Amino acid sequence: MSGISPTELQNLDEPSKKEIMGFLETENSKQKVQMSIHQFTNLCFKNCIHSVQSADLSAQENQCLKDCVNRFLDTNIRIVKGLQSIQ
Amino acid sequence: MALSSIFGGGSPSQQSNLPTSSASSSVKDQLKGQIAQELAVANATELVNKVTENCFEKCLMAPYTSKQDTCVDQCLAKYMRSWNAISQAYVARIQQASANGDI
Repeated sequence: MSGISPTELQNLDEPSKKEIMGFLETENSKQKVQMSIHQFTNLCFKNCIHSVQSADLSAQENQCLKDCVNRFLDTNIRIVKGLQSIQ
Repeated sequence: MALSSIFGGGSPSQQSNLPTSSASSSVKDQLKGQIAQELAVANATELVNKVTENCFEKCLMAPYTSKQDTCVDQCLAKYMRSWNAISQAYVARIQQASANGDI
């Protein structure tokens, strides 16, 4: 990493600090979404793709992937609700 | 990736145009650049690991023949297409939930 020295960071003016905080917040939430997509793709590829004879997704495979994501999220929501009702 | 445009990121955000000293502004841009770069590397690494794992499972047959190169190439292309399909479905779901006021 080409260095930004600690003094340089401390000398940042307030508007810049605020802007960096905002930037981190957006990047953080974008990254959470990205990591979820990595996780879903990994899971749903295993579930839905049985052959790699063709590089194209068949209509069934495409539908299976979409259903896979949606069922995963439904399950997630259901489990959170279930846990909340136990509390 | 297509996602960044939907979430308003991608290119460095320009929401605040408050006056900043030029020294601060250059450190700030450098910092943003480094953060974006680190995230891109992290995402690429994650993708390579997952594709390798999945395509290893789909294509592995001993002994190794050049046929497997084709299998791995096709698997990679298919994984990327799956990534796109999943990303679209997930983003659509998030948008729907947010329109319904669930989030």
